[in-house]
Amino acid sequence: MDLSLLLPLLVPAMPFAAFLILAIVPPIRRTGRGAGALSIAAIAVSFVAAVIVWHSGFVGERTWGWIPADGGPIATVGVMVDPISNAMLVLVTLVSLLVQIYSLAYLSDERPGALGRYYTYQSLFVFSMLGLVLAPGFLQMFVFWELVGLCSYLLIGFWYDRPAAARAAVKAFWITKLGDLGFIIGIVLLWSATGTFEFSELFERAEANTLAVPGLAVIMFLIYLGAVGKSAQFPLHVWLPDAMEGPTPVSALIHAATMVTAGVFLVTRAEPLFALVPEVMAVIAWVGAFTALLAATMACVEGDIKRVLAYSTVSQLGYMMAAAGAGATPAGFLHLLTHGLFKALLFLAAGAVIHAVGTNDMFRMGGLFRAMPHTAIVFLIGTLALAGVPPLAGFYSKEAVLGGVWEAHLTGPFLMLALTALLTAFYMFRAVFLTFFGRAHAGGHPHEAPWLMRGPLWLLAVLTVVAGIRLALSGAEAHEATPGWLPPFSVGLALLGFVLALAMYQRGVIDPARVARALAPLDYLARRRYGLDALYAGLYRGLILGFARVIGWIDRYFVDGILNALTALTLRAGDSLRHIQTGRAQDYVYGVAFGVLLLFVWAQLWRR
Amino acid sequence: MIGLSSYLVLAALVFSIGLFGVLTRRNAVGILLGIELMLNAVNINLVAFARFHGDLTGLIFTLFTIAITVVEVAVGLAIVIAIFRVRRTVDADRLDLLRG
Amino acid sequence: MTVETVGFWLVAAVLLGSSLAVVLTPNLFHAVLYLAAALVATGAVFLLLDQPFLFAVQLLLYAGGVVTIVVFAIMLTERLVGERIRQTSRHLINGAIVAAAVFAGIAGFLLQAPPAAPRPEQTGDVTASIGRALVGPFAVTFELLGVLLVAGLIGALYFARSEE
Repeated sequence: MDLSLLLPLLVPAMPFAAFLILAIVPPIRRTGRGAGALSIAAIAVSFVAAVIVWHSGFVGERTWGWIPADGGPIATVGVMVDPISNAMLVLVTLVSLLVQIYSLAYLSDERPGALGRYYTYQSLFVFSMLGLVLAPGFLQMFVFWELVGLCSYLLIGFWYDRPAAARAAVKAFWITKLGDLGFIIGIVLLWSATGTFEFSELFERAEANTLAVPGLAVIMFLIYLGAVGKSAQFPLHVWLPDAMEGPTPVSALIHAATMVTAGVFLVTRAEPLFALVPEVMAVIAWVGAFTALLAATMACVEGDIKRVLAYSTVSQLGYMMAAAGAGATPAGFLHLLTHGLFKALLFLAAGAVIHAVGTNDMFRMGGLFRAMPHTAIVFLIGTLALAGVPPLAGFYSKEAVLGGVWEAHLTGPFLMLALTALLTAFYMFRAVFLTFFGRAHAGGHPHEAPWLMRGPLWLLAVLTVVAGIRLALSGAEAHEATPGWLPPFSVGLALLGFVLALAMYQRGVIDPARVARALAPLDYLARRRYGLDALYAGLYRGLILGFARVIGWIDRYFVDGILNALTALTLRAGDSLRHIQTGRAQDYVYGVAFGVLLLFVWAQLWRR
Repeated sequence: MIGLSSYLVLAALVFSIGLFGVLTRRNAVGILLGIELMLNAVNINLVAFARFHGDLTGLIFTLFTIAITVVEVAVGLAIVIAIFRVRRTVDADRLDLLRG
Repeated sequence: MTVETVGFWLVAAVLLGSSLAVVLTPNLFHAVLYLAAALVATGAVFLLLDQPFLFAVQLLLYAGGVVTIVVFAIMLTERLVGERIRQTSRHLINGAIVAAAVFAGIAGFLLQAPPAAPRPEQTGDVTASIGRALVGPFAVTFELLGVLLVAGLIGALYFARSEE
C-alpha cells in the first residue's frame, strides 16, 4: 500500500490499539497511571503522524468495500485525507494529547481503576473522533459519530455515582440522539436517491449539477439535524451546559474543542451538497446566529465558571454554523480550529482554578491572580482570544465569520452576531474579574497547579498567540473581501464589552443588580435558560410518560385482559368438564359402549 | 340345518343382555354376573367359528378364557368383599371415589 | 326338523330366558341360580357344536366353580350386613337402548357377512387334539395360565382376608 496512506491510517490506529489493550487487559488498566502513560504514548505517536500528514499537505483517498452486494459494495470504509481532515487531525490529536497529560495531574486523586477507565474511554474517544474526521462517506461518519456520542456519554457520566452526572450523561445522550435520528434518516434517504454514501462521488455529481434529487432540501435539512444535536444548536443545545458535570479535562476535549465541533465539521465536509439548497443554508445561518446570541445572554448571568464556558462554547458553535450557513465555510472552519485551541485553554485553566479552590462558583472565587499567576495569565490570553482582540487567533477567525455573514447579505444574523461579540467580551471579562481580581473569597490557600497541568496550558496559550500572528501575517489577502470598517468595528465591540465588565465587576461604577433590574424580563428569562429545559422536561413528562402510561394501561388491561380471560375460560371449562368424571364405573361402561358404536358406524360408513 | 350365523346371533343376543346387566345393575356382584354372560357369549362365538372353520385354536382359546374368567371372578369377588368391609356397601353408584 | 335343529332352538330359548332372568330378577341369589342355568345352556351349545370336552370343562369350572364362589360371596356379604341384599336396577331404558344398539351393530355385520361354508364333518378325536396342542405349540401359554391362576388365588386370598 501507498506509504503516504499508511500514515493517516496510523493516526486513528494508535489510540485504537491503546483502547484495545486497556479494554482487554484489565491488569494494565488497573495500574491507573500506567494506563495513562500508555494512552498518552499512543496519542503522542498519533500527533506526530498527524503533524507529518498535515505538513506534507497530502491529499488522497483509500476505501475498502464494507457491505457487499451485487454490483459493488453498498458502503465502504477507509480514509479520506484532504486539507480539512488534515487540520482536524492535528487539532484533535494535539488537544487530546495535552488534555490527557493534564488529566494525569487533574485526576491524580482518582482510584487507579477509575483512572484506567478514564484513559480507556479517552483512547476510544480519540479513535472515534479521528475515524469521523477521516470518514470518506456518510455511513462511516455516522458510525463514528455515534461512537463519539457514546464516549461523550461515558465521560460525562465518569463520576457515575453522582446523580447529577448520571442524569447529565443520559440527557446528553438522548438529546443528541434526537438529532442523530434526523441524520440517519437523511443519509438513508440520500443513499436511496443517489445510491452512494461516498463523499467524493456525491461531490463530483454535485459539481457537475447532476445531483437532481427530489426533496434534496429535506434530506439535507435532516442531515443538518444531526449537526444541530451534536453541535448544540438551538433548540437542542440544552445538553451541553449539563455536560459540564463530567471532569473538566473532558469538558475541554470533548465538549469544547473536538466532539461538539463534529456538527460544524459535518456541514463543512458536506458543503458542496449544502450549497445546492440555499434555503437550508439560510436556516443554518439564522439558527446559528440565534444560538450564538441566546447562549451569550445565558452566559452573562451564569455563576458557574464551567457553565459560562459551556454557554460560550454553544455561542461560538453558533458562530461557526452561521458562517457555514452564510457560505463562508472556510471562515467557520478556521473559527473551529482557533476556537478549539483557546477554548481548550480556557477550560483547562478553569480546571486548574477549580482544582485549586474546590468550587465552580465564580462568586466564591476572586483575587486569585496573586495565588496562581500562571493560570491567570493563560486564562487572560484565552479570554482575549475569545473576545476577539488582535493579534490573537480569535480575532481573525471571528472577523472572517462576521465578514462572511455580511457578504452573504444576512443582516439579521450579522446584527445578532455583532451583539454576541459584545456580550462575549462582556461575560468573559466578567469571569476574569470575578475569578482573578477583586476581593478574595476562597477559604484556604489556593496554589498554582503542578507543571503537568501548567505545561499544556502554556503550550496552548503560545499556540493561540502564534496562530494569531501567523494569521495576521498571512491574512492580508485572505480577508480582502471584508469591508474595511469591520476590524475596528469588531475590536470596538470587544472593547465596549470589556469596559462594561470593568465598570460593573471591577470598578463598581455600575451596580450589576441595578442592570439586572433594568433588564428584569431578560434577566429572568436568561436565568431560567429561556424555559427550554423546563419545556423539555415538561415534554418528557407530558408526552413520553403519558405515552408510557397509555401503553402501560393497554398492557395491564388489554393484553393481560386477554390472558386473564383465557385462563378464566380454561378454568371454567375444566370445572364444567370435570363433571364428566362421575367416578361411577357404569358411566365409563356407557362411554366404552358409545365408543364401540362409533367404531361400528365408522366401519359401516367409511371403511369401504 | 343350523348355520354359523344362528350361533353368532345367539351369542350377540347373550352379549347384549350381559351388557344390559352391566349397565343397569346397582349391585357390584350383579355387574359381575353381567360380565360372566358377556364372556360366555364370546366363548360361544369362539367355539362356533372353530367348529365351522375346522380350526383347533378357537377351542384352545376358549379353554384359556374359561380359566381366566374363573380367576377374574375370584379376584373380583375378593375386591367386592374388601370394598364391602370398608364402605359397608356394594352399591356401584356409591363407589365413586374417582369422581372429578 | 332334525334333532340338532330342535336341540338348538330349545337350548337357545333356555339360554336367552335364563340370561334375561339373570339381569332382571331382583333377588341376587336367584340371579346366581339363573346364571348357573345359563352357563349349563352354554355348555349345551358346546355339545351341539360337537365339543363334549368343552362342555365338561364348562360344567366343572363355570357352573361348578364360579357359581359356587359367587354364592359364597353373596352369603358372606349378606352375613356381614345381616340382611338380605335386594338387587335393584336403574336407568333400565338407557341400558336397553345402548344394549339394543350394540346388538344392532353386530347384527349389521352379520347380515353383510358372506354365507358361511356348510359345517364340515368332524374328523378324529378333538379332545386328544386339544390335549396335544396344549402341551405342544401352546405349552408356554398353558404354563403361564397356571402362573396366572396361582397369582389370582393369592390375590383373592389377600383381598378377602380378615383384618387382624
